[in-house]
Amino acid sequence: MDSKDWAQMPVCTAMDTLSSALKSNIIPNQEYLLQGSVLDSAVEVLLHRLRGLCDNVDTGPETFHDHEMCFSILNVESGTSPQPLLLRVRRALDYQDMPWQLRYIGQPEGTGDKSRPTIVRSSIDIGTTSAVVDFLTEMGCRMDFEYIVRGYMFRKGRMKITVSKIFKMGQGKPPESVEPISQSYLVELSVLAPSGQDAIAEDMKSFADQLRPLVILDKVDYKRLPMPIG
Amino acid sequence: MGVTILHQFPMLENRTGPQTIEFLTKRIVALGAVQMGQFLVDCDSYISMPSLGPQRTVHVLHNSEQPASVFSILETNTKTIPLVADGLFDLLMLKMTPIYTKKVAKIESKGPRFELADFCIKLGSVTISQNFKGVLVEVEYRPCVVPSNCVGLMREFLQGFLGSCVQSLPACLQNKMDEVYQPMDTIQQYLDHFLNFRKMAGYSG
Amino acid sequence: MENLYAALTSVKVLRCSVGQIFNSLANGIRADHGEEGRDTKFLSEIEELLNAVTHHLRDVEQAVNNLSQPPGPLTLGNTNFLSQECTQERQALYSQLVLSYKWTDKIHEYSNHAAALLSQNSLKRSYMNPGSAKRRRTQTSSHNVSPQAVDTVISAIDRQFNDMTMSISRPFATNAVLQVSLGRVLQAVIAFKGLMIEWVVVKGYGEAFDLWTDSRHKVFRKITENSHAAMLHFYSPTLPELAVRSFMTWFHSYITLFSEPCKKCGSHLHCALPPTWRDLRTLEPFHEECKL
Repeated sequence: MDSKDWAQMPVCTAMDTLSSALKSNIIPNQEYLLQGSVLDSAVEVLLHRLRGLCDNVDTGPETFHDHEMCFSILNVESGTSPQPLLLRVRRALDYQDMPWQLRYIGQPEGTGDKSRPTIVRSSIDIGTTSAVVDFLTEMGCRMDFEYIVRGYMFRKGRMKITVSKIFKMGQGKPPESVEPISQSYLVELSVLAPSGQDAIAEDMKSFADQLRPLVILDKVDYKRLPMPIG
Repeated sequence: MGVTILHQFPMLENRTGPQTIEFLTKRIVALGAVQMGQFLVDCDSYISMPSLGPQRTVHVLHNSEQPASVFSILETNTKTIPLVADGLFDLLMLKMTPIYTKKVAKIESKGPRFELADFCIKLGSVTISQNFKGVLVEVEYRPCVVPSNCVGLMREFLQGFLGSCVQSLPACLQNKMDEVYQPMDTIQQYLDHFLNFRKMAGYSG
Repeated sequence: MENLYAALTSVKVLRCSVGQIFNSLANGIRADHGEEGRDTKFLSEIEELLNAVTHHLRDVEQAVNNLSQPPGPLTLGNTNFLSQECTQERQALYSQLVLSYKWTDKIHEYSNHAAALLSQNSLKRSYMNPGSAKRRRTQTSSHNVSPQAVDTVISAIDRQFNDMTMSISRPFATNAVLQVSLGRVLQAVIAFKGLMIEWVVVKGYGEAFDLWTDSRHKVFRKITENSHAAMLHFYSPTLPELAVRSFMTWFHSYITLFSEPCKKCGSHLHCALPPTWRDLRTLEPFHEECKL
């Protein structure tokens, strides 16, 4: 292209770019999720199995050590049933200079529906600067709870498998001496994809079947749990 | 990202917006600058619902120079908090619509972008919903990242092509003269000018 | 006309046969002359060829005798008039001659200057003392210094300036590559060979440290050029330490690159560039165009 032509090219607004991306459905805004848990005593066996099944065989599992904060902002004026807007902020404790992650999580769908193999919830992942906690707090969000999560991450194609342990936030205590919340590990199998790609849910189901009976990954209905996690 | 100074070019009575841009273009081209595309900085402001307590405003800005980022500045009565995020932040703001609503018209600065040696000059005409409001001249000196190092040099350059109307440094730069310049600092300057334009146009917020 | 053609052909044939003689004379006795009586065979071959030559010569003489004097002047077309044209303007020769004369003059002048300059500033980076072979003493070589010695010299320089930080890496065997950050103004990569500075690349704050790519900013490309000049200027084979130290002192003066105006014209910018030259002795800033 001639430099003259290029110089005269109009710039399009960020909103135009976003709406065209939305229209062509390339934004991964749906999370397909299966969850389960495994006792501390059995986690080694599961890790071995995952190591054999997953893509990153040669390098071994990737470890992570994150701090997650869950925020909600109540939408009072939205009529009959006020639904809180859920936001999560996650930062890597082992890589302090990485961007922080702000995440919007929608209401889970398909929890009761037998024909859908996984939970589907809308999700927006946004990398941000570290001012995000202040930003949300001043915006009017309330921090509901926070925790530290440490574990391993595996990949299998587009699927992400995490095996992690959740710790209570130590108030002023050094991060090494944090107290675990339970005697088990949380196992999550998830894929982030643009909406309408339901075929991936079947892949997830069959992968989850391969992990039985070491761990049973299933749709967890938060509403039916006796005590809500958050 | 080098030190950038945003300057409002005073409008003369007998000159329209496009004429002013053309006048400045002629000057800058005479200095040897070459046009390299166009630029756009836009700003949307979202205002909190009254039920949330004291009013807060989230200004969401985009700069074509950093196309993958969304800059937002939260203004409360006591604080301003800047946040840089990925492009999907716009999507989140849409999810927030019941709580934070867009009540004021979009304001933007748009125009030609020039390069002259290591300088990058942008001549923007400011519009609020397509109505012309004024001219903002942005000058970036890309090799230098610390404002205090190149104040004199920048002033000389600005005075060289804008004339004696260039006086002091932007207010938001004055207390961070010795820090490394960030893209957010440019956004803050744009926001300050945009809010001024809005105030003059009689918009609230 | 036919006679003329015949004469030309016979001349050609004569030349061919003479060429053949010389050819076989040059080759001498060949393998195909066989073992027995090869001398006589060779001689008879030459004789045969000579006979052919005399025969052809006779042909030529005959052909020349057959030629008749050309009647009247030859018609040579437009080329005839070439000798008639004597006004120099029409031939456009004069201006070209003047131009080429000027060029040779200029080349002569420039090469004289260059020779004078080069003989003054010896830019030789290694020892070559022609003619003094008899009193050769062992000289300290700047190329062949132990890594420890290089490290001590550099860390001493590092301590001398607190706004200039240096770190040494050795990606290529023992030769050091020095990364220098000068405040938040600029960065440089300096490649050493022993204690001799071999290469300098100057970049902006935040640009990638590497030896091979240029800075994306014009200012730093200019300073890279100037650093090369300074590196050659300060080079001294007998005092390699001093050379490095002087270069670093000079380089350190760029800390005021953006803040100090040119000493001569008093302004910051010239052609949209700050003063990129630092005087080698006084370390005063000058624009490239102002330094002379």
